[in-house]
Amino acid sequence: MPLALPDLQAALADHVAGHDRAELLASVVGDSIPAAARLRVHRNHVLHSLGTALAATFPTVQALVGDEFFRGMARTFAAHDLPTQPVLSEYGAGFSRFVGGYTPARGLPYLADIARLDWALNVAFHSPTEPRLASADLASIQVEQLPTKLVSLAPGAAVLRSIYPIERIWATAQSPASHETVDLNSGAARLLVLRRANDAGFVCLSEGEASFLEALAAGRTLEDAAGLALAADAVFELSPAFARLLHLRAFAAVQ
Amino acid sequence: MSPIAGIGLRAPHLAEIARERPATAFLEIHAENYLSPTQAAETIERLRADYVFSMHAVGLSLGSAAGIDDAHLDRVAGLVKRLQPAYVSDHLSWSVAGGRYFNDLLPLPYTEEALDVVVRNVQRLQDRLGRQVSIENPSCYLGFTHSTMSEPEFLSEVARRSGCGLLLDVNNIHVTAHNLRLDARDWLTLSPDAVTQYHLAGHAANDADGEPILIDDHGSRVGDAVWTLFEEVVRRFGARPTLIEWDTDIPALSVLLDEAQRADRALSAAGDHAARAA
Repeated sequence: MPLALPDLQAALADHVAGHDRAELLASVVGDSIPAAARLRVHRNHVLHSLGTALAATFPTVQALVGDEFFRGMARTFAAHDLPTQPVLSEYGAGFSRFVGGYTPARGLPYLADIARLDWALNVAFHSPTEPRLASADLASIQVEQLPTKLVSLAPGAAVLRSIYPIERIWATAQSPASHETVDLNSGAARLLVLRRANDAGFVCLSEGEASFLEALAAGRTLEDAAGLALAADAVFELSPAFARLLHLRAFAAVQ
Repeated sequence: MSPIAGIGLRAPHLAEIARERPATAFLEIHAENYLSPTQAAETIERLRADYVFSMHAVGLSLGSAAGIDDAHLDRVAGLVKRLQPAYVSDHLSWSVAGGRYFNDLLPLPYTEEALDVVVRNVQRLQDRLGRQVSIENPSCYLGFTHSTMSEPEFLSEVARRSGCGLLLDVNNIHVTAHNLRLDARDWLTLSPDAVTQYHLAGHAANDADGEPILIDDHGSRVGDAVWTLFEEVVRRFGARPTLIEWDTDIPALSVLLDEAQRADRALSAAGDHAARAA
């Protein structure tokens, strides 16, 4: 009895994810190239092509560990966490968590945070350049109403924290020939990742700025966010911080 | 004869094409690469003024027994609306099962059951887009023991029942015929009325347990055997918009344009042959 199409597709799906299925093998014509070797073409292509897609999304991780190591790590990830939709730039949301638990990479404790940075840059890169809050948009708001306003972050904008200096690790990975070393204890990173006009990038934040943006992103009012920022960072000053973030086009809208 | 061969627009060439505006009959894009609002997506929308576009989808999974994914169909339909491509196509294959996407053009058994599935999905796609789409023959590495039709028979029925066009990938015919021990001339039995486009690409030969298996890797110039088959295909079906595909080890843009010119010469020569025969 041949496999019905839904069963055949479920079996082939299992096969390419690494699980051999006897009833599938029996459904494939074998000759001087056995059925198992023919099926392997698809298994290899799926895992290899997903590895290529992950390398495009996580270029800094790849640069830090080298292509061969990255390929092995990506293949293991892909076999357990296949995409759920066909847009490959949206594939890999779970990769940083996987990297954090990947035993062969445990000598690089910052690697998962670099993966989070690559992912945030990828999300920002695929986000729209509009809407963006401009200073002119604030002119119509009464000053006494400002404390209760909500300010949304620009599409794709994200605050990223790491106990490692990932902005410096990221920079060394961009120029592998430099052989610059980074002291892993040289300071925590607080980054704002943003879609810029032609690409995505990040800037370093003060503790106060990072807390302020995190509070706004969580839906707190301007007044609450400023209070939380000051509590986290005694030297936080709302006015210059807001001006800087506005200039960076970090906000979408005020409401 | 004005050129009718086009090239695949790939990321490494985007800036050069936007700047130099080389002459080509059309630019082909993979739908799945332009669904989010990147600078690249903005660039191709600007290029619309100067180029004819072909939108080739790779992820609609027209062979999925569970049907086409609504969310993906909506995104592709949105791109079709923005880009207004002259041609829209996807493959006779499937890539989604159980909510997982495999990033491969997986093969179908050629059975009545699969035919019903493909026809239903193609009709749904055409209804959603409000236009005819073309379905491409896949490159096959395996066949199923319970297939009851040949691939050309299956394609003919899909076209007849759904009203879709057929995109003949001549490299895929060559690869499939070699790998499944078939005769490439079997594909010449298709009805010329259904054939809407051609694709050309390079392939590689891998080792499968000591036997060569041809892999459709789009990573080199079109092979000599494929050019010869292309000439036969054009003599049989006539000239059609023809795409040069190159997706791995992407060369300089000039190499793609050179391959497209060679395709145009072949299309032109076959056209002359047909005119003499008439």
